[in-house]
Amino acid sequence: MNNGSILMADDDADDRFLVQAAFEDNRLVNTIVFFEDGEQLLEYYITENPNIPHLIFLDLNMPKRDGREVLKVIRKSDKWDNVPIIIFSTSNAPDDILASYQLGANCYLVKPSSYEELKDLILSVHKFWLRRL
Amino acid sequence: MKLSTSSLLNRSLSEKQLSRITRILFGISLILIIALSYSYNEINQELVNYSEKVNQTQQVISGLNRLSSAMYESTHHTNSYVYLHDTIYINKTLAAVYAVPKLAKKIDSLITDDGAQQKRLNSLQIHIEKFRDYTERIARPATLVNPAAVYALYRKRNQEIDSMTKLISEMNKLENQLMYTRVQSRDNYMQQVYRYNWIIMLVAVVLLSSAFILLDRELRRNRFYRIDLENKIENLNRSNSELEQFAYVASHDLQEPLRKIRSFSDRLLNRHRSELSDEAFQMLAKIDSAAQRMQNLIYDLLSFSRIVRTSADSKLINLNTILAEAKSNLSEMIMENKASIHNEPLPSIDGFGSQMVQLFQNLISNSVKYHQENIRPVIRISHRLVEGQVIPGVKPSHQNIQFHQIKFADNGIGFKKEFADKIFIIFKRLHATTEFAGTGIGLAICRRVVSNHNGYIFAESTEGEGSNFYIYLPKESMLT
Repeated sequence: MNNGSILMADDDADDRFLVQAAFEDNRLVNTIVFFEDGEQLLEYYITENPNIPHLIFLDLNMPKRDGREVLKVIRKSDKWDNVPIIIFSTSNAPDDILASYQLGANCYLVKPSSYEELKDLILSVHKFWLRRL
Repeated sequence: MKLSTSSLLNRSLSEKQLSRITRILFGISLILIIALSYSYNEINQELVNYSEKVNQTQQVISGLNRLSSAMYESTHHTNSYVYLHDTIYINKTLAAVYAVPKLAKKIDSLITDDGAQQKRLNSLQIHIEKFRDYTERIARPATLVNPAAVYALYRKRNQEIDSMTKLISEMNKLENQLMYTRVQSRDNYMQQVYRYNWIIMLVAVVLLSSAFILLDRELRRNRFYRIDLENKIENLNRSNSELEQFAYVASHDLQEPLRKIRSFSDRLLNRHRSELSDEAFQMLAKIDSAAQRMQNLIYDLLSFSRIVRTSADSKLINLNTILAEAKSNLSEMIMENKASIHNEPLPSIDGFGSQMVQLFQNLISNSVKYHQENIRPVIRISHRLVEGQVIPGVKPSHQNIQFHQIKFADNGIGFKKEFADKIFIIFKRLHATTEFAGTGIGLAICRRVVSNHNGYIFAESTEGEGSNFYIYLPKESMLT
């Protein structure tokens, strides 16, 4: 059973792998589309007219267009108005957190430092944002 | 004078000495200038005095001359009367004769301060009296008819004239001498006084220019210092922004590989547990715990570097509220250890609230953490106002201001005296990590917070008997 589609933009291949692994290890069935930077995600957002995703994971610091820019573009129009966006970053700087919420992020999660924590986090995210679909 | 000035310049003087010397130089110059203007006033008065005296002598001389000519005038008129028998000369004779004592009286008023001349004038006046008497008697019409009487009176009168002439010439000579000495001493005085004033003026000019040179040098040195200071501020700003960059790098780039190490070793442990030998499992666990410790260190370093720069504005904060907040943040730890905290009413200060909470929180959590086994931790917080000079190692500029002393006293395990300074060094720990957890950042943050508030922090302890932490915060805010 597919529990909703997820978009994830992160330049770090390991992080993409770990998130995918965490979903699998939690036995969650979701379609996750990965992007290597913000630009790829924005191209997907603009050119194709895909099905509206159910959740977006967005890294802040990426090459080309970073998470802030992506956030700004998506929140400016009402195309994906109701899609929850989770900032998923290594930074725990208060400035980054505040700026993300001001740009319209729905949640700010600091990347956990161990795989066990990541697994729990993904489960909890799924419970709150995706199970109600 | 110039020599000493240049030698003063060559030596390097302290600011204090320089300001004192400049002040003394200006002070002396000012006194000299005032003395000079006062002295000019005195000189003027003295010169007026001298002139008056010379003038007086001149008046005496002219008075004597007029007296003598009046005397001869009356003699001339008497002769005319006796030879021509013309009564018109009687009045002329008498008029001239009466003028003589009046002139003598006038001279008398001019020489009151000269005893010798006065004496001569007195005898002159006696002769004048006699001269007047004889002349009057000659001028009587009754006398003229008796030539023998005229002859006798003539002789007597001429005797008086001789005496008078002698006295007048003596007095004249004396007055002339007097005038000469007076003019001479006036000139001497003027010369001397001017020389003396020139010297004072020269000294004042030299002192003033020395003071000016010193001031000018000081101004130039100040300019040099200002430029130096600006350079230092620039360097400081640069290193601050580098530190911020470092903080960012530490938070992101350094954490990143560590996170990976942990995540993958974690996953390895979980997914391939069955394929791993016990030894390999232990090693992986050690890798994970080392990486975790490094993460904690980086995290703590980061929180320390965040406290270095205080971008927020300071506010008036009530330390009682701050203490309550710190206690509430630590409530779980306090409950668990059954710790009790007693405090005196604390003051309000101008400062950064979140930093102060962290300061109080770190001190309290340290006291609770390092408590003695089987003894409930007790923390007493007291406050009093102290003068800056009682603080050890206080900056000179802080000596004369008042400080709030806030003392945290506990009954914990304490530490050896020689560690009282070292415990404030970043990552300095007195115990093994197996004994007490933590990275050793807490007190370094405390010291940073206190110095951000222009304050001081000290610790004292006797091992096994608890420790005291003293925080000194300025009563009047020095935050800008």
